[in-house]
Amino acid sequence: MEYVDSLTGFRLDGRRPNDMRQIRGEIGVVAKADGSALFEMGNTKVIAAVYGPREVQNKGQQINNQALVRCEYSMANFSTGDRTRRPKGDRRSTEISLVIRQTMEACILVHLMPRSQIDIFVQVLQADGGTRSACINAATLALADAGIPMRDLVTSCSAGYLSSTPLLDLNYVEDSAGGPDVTVGILAKTDKVTLLQMDSKLPIDIFENVMQLAIEGCKAIAQYIREVLLENTKLLESRKGL
Amino acid sequence: MLQSKSFAKKTKQGRVIKVVREHYLRDDIYCGATFCKVCDTSAARLSASASATILIVDTNVVLNQIDLLENPKIDDVVVLSVVLEEVRHKNLSVYNRVKALCTNPLRKFFVFSNEHHRDTYVKDMIGESPNDRNDRAIRVAARWYQIHLGESTQILLITNDRENKKRATEEGISAETVESYVKSLGKPDLLDLVVLSSSVDVPMEDVEDLRPSKKKIIYSEHKPMSEVTSGLLHGIYHQGKLRVNRYNPFEAYVGSESISEEIVICGRANMNRAFHGDIVAVELLPQDQWRDGKSLIIDDDDDDEEEVHLVPNSADDVPRFENPVQPTSGSSPPVSSHPPGRVVGIIKRNWHSYCGSLDPMPMPAGNAGVAHALFASKDRRIPKIRIQTRQLGNLLDKRIIVAVDSWDCLSRYPSGHYVLLIENDINSRPFSSQVLACLPPLPWSLSLEDLANSNREDLRHLRVFSVDPPGCRDIDDALHCKPLGNGNFEVGVHIADVTNFVLPGTPLDEEASQRGTSVYLVERRIDMLPKSLTEDICSLCSDVERLSFSVIWELTPDANIVSTRYTKSAIKSCAALSYVEAQARMDDSRLMDPLTTDLRNLNSLAKIMRLRRIKRGALTLASPEVKFQIDTETHDPLDIGMYQIREANQMIEEFMLAANISVAEKILKHFSLCSLLRRHPSPTKEMLEPLLRTAAAVGLDLDVSSSKALADSLDRAVGDDPYFNKLIRILATRCMTQAIYFSSGDLSPSEFSHYGLAAPIYTHFTSPIRRYADVIVHRLLAAALGISRLPPIFMDGPQLTSIADNLNYRHRNAQMASRASVELHTVIFFRNRPTDTEARILKIKSNGFIVFVPKFGIEGPVYLVAKDKGSSDWVVDEAHQKVTKAGTKITYGILQTVRIHMEVVEPQPNRPKLQLTLII
Amino acid sequence: MVGLSLGEKQFIHGGIAQDLRTDGRKRLHYRPISIETGVIPQANGSARVRLGATDVIVSIKAELGKPSSLQPDKGKVAIFVDCSSTAAPMFELSGKWKMVLGRGGEELSSELSVALQRCLLGGKSGAGAGIDPSSLVIVEGKLCWDLYIDGLVVSSDGNLLDALGAAIKVALSNTGIPKVTVILGPSPNDQPDVDLSDEEFLQFDTTGVPVIVTLTKVGRHYIADATLEEESQMSSAMSVSLNRHGHICGLTKRGGAGLDPSVVLDMISVAQHVGEQLMSMLDSEIAAAEAAAVQEQ
Repeated sequence: MEYVDSLTGFRLDGRRPNDMRQIRGEIGVVAKADGSALFEMGNTKVIAAVYGPREVQNKGQQINNQALVRCEYSMANFSTGDRTRRPKGDRRSTEISLVIRQTMEACILVHLMPRSQIDIFVQVLQADGGTRSACINAATLALADAGIPMRDLVTSCSAGYLSSTPLLDLNYVEDSAGGPDVTVGILAKTDKVTLLQMDSKLPIDIFENVMQLAIEGCKAIAQYIREVLLENTKLLESRKGL
Repeated sequence: MLQSKSFAKKTKQGRVIKVVREHYLRDDIYCGATFCKVCDTSAARLSASASATILIVDTNVVLNQIDLLENPKIDDVVVLSVVLEEVRHKNLSVYNRVKALCTNPLRKFFVFSNEHHRDTYVKDMIGESPNDRNDRAIRVAARWYQIHLGESTQILLITNDRENKKRATEEGISAETVESYVKSLGKPDLLDLVVLSSSVDVPMEDVEDLRPSKKKIIYSEHKPMSEVTSGLLHGIYHQGKLRVNRYNPFEAYVGSESISEEIVICGRANMNRAFHGDIVAVELLPQDQWRDGKSLIIDDDDDDEEEVHLVPNSADDVPRFENPVQPTSGSSPPVSSHPPGRVVGIIKRNWHSYCGSLDPMPMPAGNAGVAHALFASKDRRIPKIRIQTRQLGNLLDKRIIVAVDSWDCLSRYPSGHYVLLIENDINSRPFSSQVLACLPPLPWSLSLEDLANSNREDLRHLRVFSVDPPGCRDIDDALHCKPLGNGNFEVGVHIADVTNFVLPGTPLDEEASQRGTSVYLVERRIDMLPKSLTEDICSLCSDVERLSFSVIWELTPDANIVSTRYTKSAIKSCAALSYVEAQARMDDSRLMDPLTTDLRNLNSLAKIMRLRRIKRGALTLASPEVKFQIDTETHDPLDIGMYQIREANQMIEEFMLAANISVAEKILKHFSLCSLLRRHPSPTKEMLEPLLRTAAAVGLDLDVSSSKALADSLDRAVGDDPYFNKLIRILATRCMTQAIYFSSGDLSPSEFSHYGLAAPIYTHFTSPIRRYADVIVHRLLAAALGISRLPPIFMDGPQLTSIADNLNYRHRNAQMASRASVELHTVIFFRNRPTDTEARILKIKSNGFIVFVPKFGIEGPVYLVAKDKGSSDWVVDEAHQKVTKAGTKITYGILQTVRIHMEVVEPQPNRPKLQLTLII
Repeated sequence: MVGLSLGEKQFIHGGIAQDLRTDGRKRLHYRPISIETGVIPQANGSARVRLGATDVIVSIKAELGKPSSLQPDKGKVAIFVDCSSTAAPMFELSGKWKMVLGRGGEELSSELSVALQRCLLGGKSGAGAGIDPSSLVIVEGKLCWDLYIDGLVVSSDGNLLDALGAAIKVALSNTGIPKVTVILGPSPNDQPDVDLSDEEFLQFDTTGVPVIVTLTKVGRHYIADATLEEESQMSSAMSVSLNRHGHICGLTKRGGAGLDPSVVLDMISVAQHVGEQLMSMLDSEIAAAEAAAVQEQ
């Protein structure tokens, strides 16, 4: 199947190989949570809610000099094309939960909040490729909304290599093609990579190109997230009457 | 801007999913006209003048009139992406041709992505069929073009769809049908290429005897697709590929996974307009209509059972006989295990262009010029095709190509149109300028850069020489043999370093990959690579420095390999000998110069290696290659004789085999999942049946349990008759399978073996100038040595498999072309020289037998009974493979010598045949 | 949300007695409802309802299936509720409501699912269902649509049942099931094949779909649309499912305290009254959403 049309250079949905899908971020969707955000990348929709810092529920897990970060990832029953009953503790969910936790832990200033607990809950409403990245981006927004101190914004984007072209931000169809899929998460300002995952195989020089493309995607998302946060702050300011 | 497309899809399991896809609209899509002031013209393709007429074609025009579009006189065409998508779904081969047109820089075809352009995107309306929606999209795009390019340029929508045309005119777009446009160009030969739609009434009196009133439905309607799919699901219909019996075109077989035996389809009506190679849905006939599966009456003209053809000359080249049922023997066969059926629907058409000639007919009296003719393809499996042409006189006596358009149930024959002249799907067109641009300029010589490359060893000091057929100019292999101090020999095989010049992904590489192999016809060669490469730059000619890829062994005097090394190198051949010369040198005991000594050393090593191979079970089958001596002026064959195999031939062959095996081992070690290898599957019991039967008939016991056992039995099969052994070997050859290329990731290691060579692993490395497989192996070897990176295409398993399949296909075609060429020349040779000669009977049939003529290396049928006589007086004894005239003692047995008369006859004009008759 | 202090509890009780709740509402007022349809394009129908801080999303998917042998002329409808972990920490409330609200939300999810089923789908025989399953059948006895209604609680601030009920009603109005043309197999016993039409859709008539009104008894008064804090103070609660004609389609009582039968009847009549208002508000919202969708086309 031609993922990149050889005659026109467009992908299946009309994007160019280094075009990202339309992204949209919204803050404050879950009123009860300390911080929450809705993040959409194309048709992939994710809600993240942050509770914390608060008292550790399970005293046994308490860490004396830093905060405990917990993360849970779950997909709604209706999130994929065919409706499947998703058991909460299945392997993929556990793995992604772990990945998100580690990524966010790297950027939260946990030593500022010892003996406390920060819960990040991510719920996928619709999955159309790139869920991992959308979750991390949503979590970043939610953490910012919760006012939890962070080193930097963490953003994530995926890229792949199909029809001999590096493609940015794969959707579900392109992801299922079986080609390599590189997910990168970076700290936006400091340019440090906190998450790097890949499946399938790639020769090294092509891998460099693909990773570079993903990093550029991350930077673009970081720019957008900054704007959203700025807008939100301005709104809060105006509400406060400043 | 983002649109969302959603539709419901049904999965194979019958579940329903709603599918939602994103659809982005862009504003950076350009119109492609070079004179446009608004758009970015960097990718523009259409002509430069603003007053040109720009054509926009709709889907049906592309599908039906592709031949017309390929004609260089049609230009400045905009192909919309909506049209391209529809074409791709309906007919992949037409899509590939359009794609080629659009990427060809010489043609002005531009692809406009109207589906993603903000202004020309058309949203589905409720209640609109997809076809209507696409037509509307085409009209919107045409209108956009008209507005965008201004008044001076004329935009013309070419469509044969009346509805579309009407609406377009209503919307202010100029629209024309294909015929009217072509007529307006005023070029009558273009009109021929235009395919007339079936709604036009075709007067059939010229061709058939049917008056319109007598037009009746000859074939039953094909069932609609939905019924076919549900029938397949329920097991009522069976799906499979239709294979027409080459010897009886009214009989065909369908092998389907859903039923164990092959279904036999008898008769035109049951075949219901299916062609050989189509994927069809078949319904089994009810039990009471089952007849025995023996092939019966052939109710159409000529087509006798077998033609005179060449004896297959090696296990590698044996054509696979496709029909399992041999039309022989008069003894009553048991009730056939092949259930009869009939075709109810065609799932996928396999229509190509076919080569052949028109049936002779009188010129039509009328002056309208349009004549209807019947085209008979050379491939007897294809039915006759009716075409219309204005150039009847021109085409009557010639070999032409015809493409099939349609076959409805009212007409006896399918309709098609005349195309061009290509043979055997072999690309004999000259190389395009894009390809030639990839070549280094002549004169080429070794440069300092080449030598400085650390991967390349300088072996110019070695005494390298080559041995090839006389007059050979594309020399791809050379050897050297150096005695080492410790009594061993250093032997090197140096192969032309083609991959140094043919880089992956270049047009040169693409073209070579398409061609697959060079084709050797009798008096000329159709090259895979351009001549400058094959005969000069890559060819290891003598006394010039050339680049090569070498396999160097250290061999003991017993020809045991101590070590092997592989390297790119630079050599300088000191002599380019022919086989005859090399043999003469070795035989002449007076010559003691270093070159001759090297030859003799190599020869003795080769002899040992050959013996070892034979001991392991390698098969040496008879290879009576027929060779022609051509008159240089008339190009007619002067003499025809058997190719002599000398020791020198075998010596070179031995080392080539050894090099191939060594390279195969090396690349498999590094790339166990993506190596291109060659295998020869062992023949199955069924395949060996005829051989065993024949052998038994002459009292010979053959052990076929393994290749070694067979080889030994063949060696023991000696009679007083000098040709006996050769004949048995020829018969053995016919039972062999074809050797094929495959990707190592597709099979398990035990299946890698090459039966004929008794090698556990094999590949093709030694002829990159004439075989693309060798080019691939060179790249693999270079990657294995770390010299260069493996091209990404090797990562893709399915792609590699399809490359292997393509190579196999091209190889077979090349062989068929070769044989056809030889057969043609055979006929030409015998045309004015009727000859009487000796022949040996190879196979017994109910109305005659097949003989082999040793002197010329050809075989063909000899009839005992005239064709139209009913039952014969001859009785066949299957067990003893004899045919006897009833009531007499006149009998002919297998391997018996007979005298025959060979003469060329022409029962049909332009179809000369070599006929063999028995001299009693 | 650790728990309520004694003072807070008294404040809530007192406020309700005086018809002035903590957020300023009267006892029978609903919080502002905001509705969005089509939030999940991949589903056949979807809706998101926000009742104050309670946020639920409902998606409806239709799949082909075989009708049950007991009811060959009816399709099947199944309702599942999932409490998302984004709303989770609420479930770790201490106190007597741990039983009700459960850890991890599992118990709550199943309780909600069952309550919804009871209210909307009627009894085992399928009679009196709010959603009519006979409209889902394609070929009697062989092929029918299976409707899967999935609710997701994104944020919980009390009154989940009402919100889910409203969301289901809205989602059903948004649902489009592709029209099918049936191709019968050659023998009558075979499973018939279907051809899907991309164009036409079967819309549900949602005027018959009931809404759920939950009345929570705190002290001696009932309130409608309780927030989480108010729910923590309830003695018992009753959820009544009412359709447009004011008929009761289902009834659920929760909570440990006993209720006098006359109180029950009283609650029902109050619920009817409140229900009418809720129903009309929902209907107008649905109409507005449909109009907006048509305009977009």
